[in-house]
Amino acid sequence: MMATLLILPAFAMFLVSFSKHKKAKYLLTVTSFAILLPIVKLFWLPKPYAIWGEYLVADKLDTYILLVSSLVGIGVTLALLTLDLHVKISAKSYRRFYRFFATFWVGLIFSILANHMGIYWIGLELATLSTVYMIKTNHSLAAHKEAWNYMIVGAIAISLVLFGIILMYASAKPILGEDAMRFDLLLQKAQDIPSPFLFEMGFAISTVGMFVKMGFFPMNLWLANIERASFYPVAALFSGILESAVIVGFFRFSEIAMKVNYAHLFSFIFVYALLTIFIVAFLLYRAKDFMRLFSLSGVEHMALIALFWVSGGTFAALLHFGAHAFLKPALFLSTGVLESQGKYHIAGALKGYVGKRGKLFWFTVSLFLLAIISLPPSPMFFSEIYGFGAMIDMAKKSDHILAMIGAILLLLLLLSIIFYRFVTVYQSMKYEGETVEKRVYTSEILALLLFAVCLGFLMTPASFAFLRSIV
Amino acid sequence: MTIYLMTIAILLLIAPLLLSFIKALKMWLLYKKPISIFQGYRNFSKLMQKETLVSQEASIITRVAPFLVLSPLLATLLFLPPVTHGAFYVSFVDAFTITGLISLSTFFLMLLGLDSASSFGGMGSSREAFIAALVEPAMVLTIFSVSMMAGDLGVGQAGANLTAHFPKEHTASFLFAGISFFILLVAENGRIPVDNPETHLELTMVHEAMILDISGVYLAIVEAASSVKFIIFSSLFASLFMPFGMQFGFLAALVIFLAKLFLIATAIAVIEVNTAKLRLFKVPNLLGIAIVFAFLSLITFYVLGA
Amino acid sequence: MGIDFFIGLFLATLIVALFTARLYRLILWYSMNSLALGILALMVGKSLDDEAMLITGVATLVIKAVGIPYMLKYFSEKFHFVRQIQPQIKTHYAIMLIPAILVFTFYLSEPITHMVEGNANYVAVSISSLFLSLLLMMEHRHVAPKIIGFLSMENALFLLGITATGGMPMLVELGIFFDLLMAIVVMNLLFHKEEEVRS
Repeated sequence: MMATLLILPAFAMFLVSFSKHKKAKYLLTVTSFAILLPIVKLFWLPKPYAIWGEYLVADKLDTYILLVSSLVGIGVTLALLTLDLHVKISAKSYRRFYRFFATFWVGLIFSILANHMGIYWIGLELATLSTVYMIKTNHSLAAHKEAWNYMIVGAIAISLVLFGIILMYASAKPILGEDAMRFDLLLQKAQDIPSPFLFEMGFAISTVGMFVKMGFFPMNLWLANIERASFYPVAALFSGILESAVIVGFFRFSEIAMKVNYAHLFSFIFVYALLTIFIVAFLLYRAKDFMRLFSLSGVEHMALIALFWVSGGTFAALLHFGAHAFLKPALFLSTGVLESQGKYHIAGALKGYVGKRGKLFWFTVSLFLLAIISLPPSPMFFSEIYGFGAMIDMAKKSDHILAMIGAILLLLLLLSIIFYRFVTVYQSMKYEGETVEKRVYTSEILALLLFAVCLGFLMTPASFAFLRSIV
Repeated sequence: MTIYLMTIAILLLIAPLLLSFIKALKMWLLYKKPISIFQGYRNFSKLMQKETLVSQEASIITRVAPFLVLSPLLATLLFLPPVTHGAFYVSFVDAFTITGLISLSTFFLMLLGLDSASSFGGMGSSREAFIAALVEPAMVLTIFSVSMMAGDLGVGQAGANLTAHFPKEHTASFLFAGISFFILLVAENGRIPVDNPETHLELTMVHEAMILDISGVYLAIVEAASSVKFIIFSSLFASLFMPFGMQFGFLAALVIFLAKLFLIATAIAVIEVNTAKLRLFKVPNLLGIAIVFAFLSLITFYVLGA
Repeated sequence: MGIDFFIGLFLATLIVALFTARLYRLILWYSMNSLALGILALMVGKSLDDEAMLITGVATLVIKAVGIPYMLKYFSEKFHFVRQIQPQIKTHYAIMLIPAILVFTFYLSEPITHMVEGNANYVAVSISSLFLSLLLMMEHRHVAPKIIGFLSMENALFLLGITATGGMPMLVELGIFFDLLMAIVVMNLLFHKEEEVRS
């Protein structure tokens, strides 16, 4: 019943996308709102709640992530209403975009709610494959090339994940049998896994696969290039939804790996994330357009989330995740307007907004821009404070407190490079270049406001309490 | 001992028959009127009767080399694995000796090509050297790996051991060695993907270019040597890679063995009809596959024991 | 013994595919690769008495050994693929590289093979074929052979699933097949667009 309700909006969207009627796209947006209903219901139900036997189980973590990504999905459908006013897209491609968006959504619901490594992987693969076509809706040679690129690299990354899953399954099969694919049982029996080396190997391989998919070292630029070549809603979907699905997998796998061998897990993720942030910081410094800027900053935030999570700062990681999932799609969606002068026009992008809608637009966008670099009122500020606090707490228990402080200082240095870059970009947007009038549409404002409201809601004590209670 | 000598005699006798059989089968597959399968013997007797002419520039090598091409091959024939159970065989000769004897024969063939001082001879010899240099390492590796699986370095003993108790746990490495050896069989005997024995087109010929300048008895001997070489390779393949049928009596075992030889000849003919000759500089690709498989067979055997 | 033979065949077809410079040949080798895999699944399934694996074996034979190669050939005729696909890595380097990869992966998987029940060699072979399929993807510039590399990677993972774990749950294997079909649909659309972009 619950599963049907969750899938229904996506299914309706799939069906409506075949209609050639002009007003059909409004119906699509309305259907996307329908998903909130079952999710709100999920919040009331006792956890863990079995949606589909042992395969799809809703606990607090995935209900939260599902809510966040559904809100992002709604925001994206709102902004999609006026996609054709910013970019050239044929009616056929537009409908097809929706069709694949619906498939994508189904895949993600499966992979976020999965309590089963296999189902998780299948959902992720389905989502990956359907995004390929969404990249392709842009009829340019670059987009075509990048769609193939995404298909190939994404396939490799996702195959690595499957490879790791098979090894983990093999490691736990002797004690759990066919149930060795279930996250909850694996978590319970983590200490009894007969061959921990095999499990760790599988974990490492699938983590590398997931990290490659999110643009970590060594594939830092591939996601940025793809998002550059495709239309802006695709980038918003990537950063808000697809990365949520990937990170939820990381959360679940690492929860088990923590019990198997915490020291190995921590040093592996720590080195990997630090390396990624190190490289991304300098790449960000050289970024010359909004898409690459935001995309690389997304990689940085994902690395931070992974770092906080394995340091035991689960609250910080989840808060950071929520904030990033709302902020980044909002920024990506606003690039449609910001880049109306052309791709590489950073200077003056925040000038020339008239009327109420325009004023509201530039105000929210500047707020988001300042929030993404964790200036104080932003949730990211708090999550980073909590996260670094958790890292120090963790180091206190061991003898490596000095090394940890050094690492945090290095991280802060790297973050300040990014901070500096964003401030420069913001100043250039606001104070340089000539004033050209830009048009903003109501649906985009609505989407931005939705994200702003969500961010505000994230900051309430109630949601803080909820996040703390998750793990 | 009698069986041993008789087997060698039979192998020598059917050597020209096998090559003519391939040719006839190919013609039949191409809807041509096939030549008689005894054409090989006819050619031999015709060449024996012909006058032997030697080029003016030729040195003593031209007179000696044909015999030196044939004799190492005849020696190799003595070292082959037994055809039937209980027959006499030479057990101590290993992969290196067999490969060495075959390359000795190839070496004199190359000298023969160079000696006539015609441009074709030199070209043929250089091409042959190019191919032989790639074939030999693969061949040593392959035979070595099979002998390891059989548990004895001697090729004759290995052939006997394989039939007696087939190494079931090593089927995978056995398969790799088989693939490698088959490619070598094709390459070393100048069959189609590597060399076309039927053409005298200067762009493509390898083996024919070397023997373009000799005639009469010498030519007969060199042709006989190439058919002996084919029989050596095919009987090695038959006894090392199709190890069955030896436990029956002498006659039955011999019939099975000959059937295997004709099966190999048929396979060669079918491949020749279905593939085009490779360009000379693509030949290393094919032999590269052979080397990779030979090596793979050895490491699979050693590391995995599969 | 039979399983050993087919696992050898699986690796052999993959290695030959690495040297192939013609698209149709490559498709043929992929089909042979899947054929070996399907027969392996049937044999292992029979020996373990696992009905699910028998079903996936038959599905492999039908979908991967016949269906997908046929579709790829159909696509290549419809969309006029480049059929001369010279590998980027020259043969004489490949001759050294491939054995190096094999030795490396065989030793790499040595600790793993001690932990898996059943026949451990198979795990080593599937891991090395995973690496070889990665090489297949890397050594080609054109899209079609890259796709075949991806599909062979899928095969290698499938083999790993069969050999290391004694078969994954039925649902997962069917899901993987479903995703594979989805991949074919997406590919069709992508090729479709390729024509539009060119014209």
